Amino acid sequence: MKKISVYLILLLIAIILPFFSNNFIIRFVTTIFMFGIMASAWNIIGGYTGYASFGNVVFFGIGAYITAILMEKGGMPFYLAFPAAGIGAAIFGILIGLPVLRLRGHYFAIATLGVAEAVKALVDNLEITEGNSGIYVPTLNLPVKGQYYFYYFMMLATLIGIILTTIFILRRKFGYGIIAIREDEDAANAVGINTTLFKTTAFALSGFFTGLAGSIYAYQLGFLKPEPVFTVQTTVKMIVMAVFGGIGTIFGPLLGAFTIEVISQILSNYFLVIHTLFFGVIVILAIIFTPQGIIDIVTGRKKFGMAYLMENIRKHRI
Amino acid sequence: MLLQVIINGILKGGLYALMALGMSLIWGVMDIINIAHGSFIMLGAFCTFWLFEYFKLDPILSLVFSISSMFFLGYFIQKYIINLVIRAVIFITLILAFGIEIFINNFALVLWTADVRKVQVPYGAANFSLGGLATIPFMRLFAFILAIIITTIFFIILNKTKLGRSIRATAQDLDAARLAGVDVAKTYSLTFGFGVAAAGAAGTLWSLLFPINPMMGGVLTLKSFVVVIIGGLGTMLGPIIGGLTLGVVEALGTNWFGQSFENLISFSILVLVLIIRPRGILGGSE
Repeated sequence: MKKISVYLILLLIAIILPFFSNNFIIRFVTTIFMFGIMASAWNIIGGYTGYASFGNVVFFGIGAYITAILMEKGGMPFYLAFPAAGIGAAIFGILIGLPVLRLRGHYFAIATLGVAEAVKALVDNLEITEGNSGIYVPTLNLPVKGQYYFYYFMMLATLIGIILTTIFILRRKFGYGIIAIREDEDAANAVGINTTLFKTTAFALSGFFTGLAGSIYAYQLGFLKPEPVFTVQTTVKMIVMAVFGGIGTIFGPLLGAFTIEVISQILSNYFLVIHTLFFGVIVILAIIFTPQGIIDIVTGRKKFGMAYLMENIRKHRI
Repeated sequence: MLLQVIINGILKGGLYALMALGMSLIWGVMDIINIAHGSFIMLGAFCTFWLFEYFKLDPILSLVFSISSMFFLGYFIQKYIINLVIRAVIFITLILAFGIEIFINNFALVLWTADVRKVQVPYGAANFSLGGLATIPFMRLFAFILAIIITTIFFIILNKTKLGRSIRATAQDLDAARLAGVDVAKTYSLTFGFGVAAAGAAGTLWSLLFPINPMMGGVLTLKSFVVVIIGGLGTMLGPIIGGLTLGVVEALGTNWFGQSFENLISFSILVLVLIIRPRGILGGSE
């Protein structure tokens, strides 16, 4: 009960926060929510199912471009383009997942990375996406403050959506199934789990929410180009956030998104030009010292200190 | 015309083979996918660029420097960073390599800025005609031959020396190698060193033929993947077969569809080969 009240208080803070902050803070927290969605979505396929996708940015990009094309070329309103983006990304996840999810380990990781790069190159060359010159998205017809509120609450709602979905599936046969696949796929198959169906569903679910995040991002940004939208660094960020927070946990990825974004923001305040260089350092340090995620520390299950860091290293070094 | 395209493809394919050699070695021995591979190629290229700009050192002589400096860089990265997480789940090393890539690329961006550079040697434009059917640029042929020679030297080291034996033993069975007295941690560091040194050599040759910039690594990493995947792991001929295949297919593809489709073609090959024959054209069944 205590746990639930903590989450409710956090939710309440998230709801009233924009009414007491300036635009910069609202935009910043919106970005945290966005990465929280994507890291949690990665967690479903990478953390619970054990298939480390290195191409999840493709769902983000597809969601963003579906939104742009439907609104700009099809004249659709956002409330139709938004679900279409999620469903489109999910369908893409099914189509690509069926062949690619047969691969395991590194081969799956490389294949998804290849898919993302191939789609980027395709978007770069297609006419309907306007290629490398970029595509515009109609702007939201609201005063500036209202726009900030709109994107903030859209991201927050989607974030709550994915967290509730995660909690929901973990209590169903589906949740036990994908965890069984992560632990031992052959055994899972042997006890009668339809591994192909479960894996593909997990991949599609991951794609659905990442696509929704991409859709809001596109509407917020107003202008898309293949390179920043499909950049592999977004995938890296999702994974690092999930790992840093704690993979295979419900709130870990969100915690990771929050921590990494705050650190990045502080760094880019102090080191304007070279803050991406420090992002590389953060990735390296986070992977070496906290491969289990910091959620155990935040929830008080483990004590932070030299012993904790050394324990992680000792476990994995040669 | 078609002959010219195929010759260009083969010549570029030799370089692709050298590019992928280091990645194949590291992957095969340690099961690490070195995402930073392209960044090491970039560092090798800029090593040559620097020596040429400031000391007027001939790019071909600078091979010695790029190979040796990249060997030590790789050795220490493995020893002090990657060896710390080597036994974690596999995607941990993958994402760690991403961190290294981001660091190296941005460091290079600070050092050399985002400008596109070129190593301009006086003999760069020389070429000869092949009986009037096709022209062969001298530098490309030279880079091709050098790439094949360096690849051969690496194979000799791997197959004929004691060090090579311990590397192969570690790849086959880590515990057995350890019982037989192989210092596994050191072998891993040396292997990574060799892999990165090969990347450095590829970078030097790349800088002779194409413009370079600090962000060129990402695409080269992916192309190295394509080559390794086509050729399959654990065979001597793998990278060479894969490199030549990619070179020729890419040359034919861009000839038909246009230059802007180059990346789309190679990444589509990557995904298709992975789906159809995940262990490579030469590799056995799963």
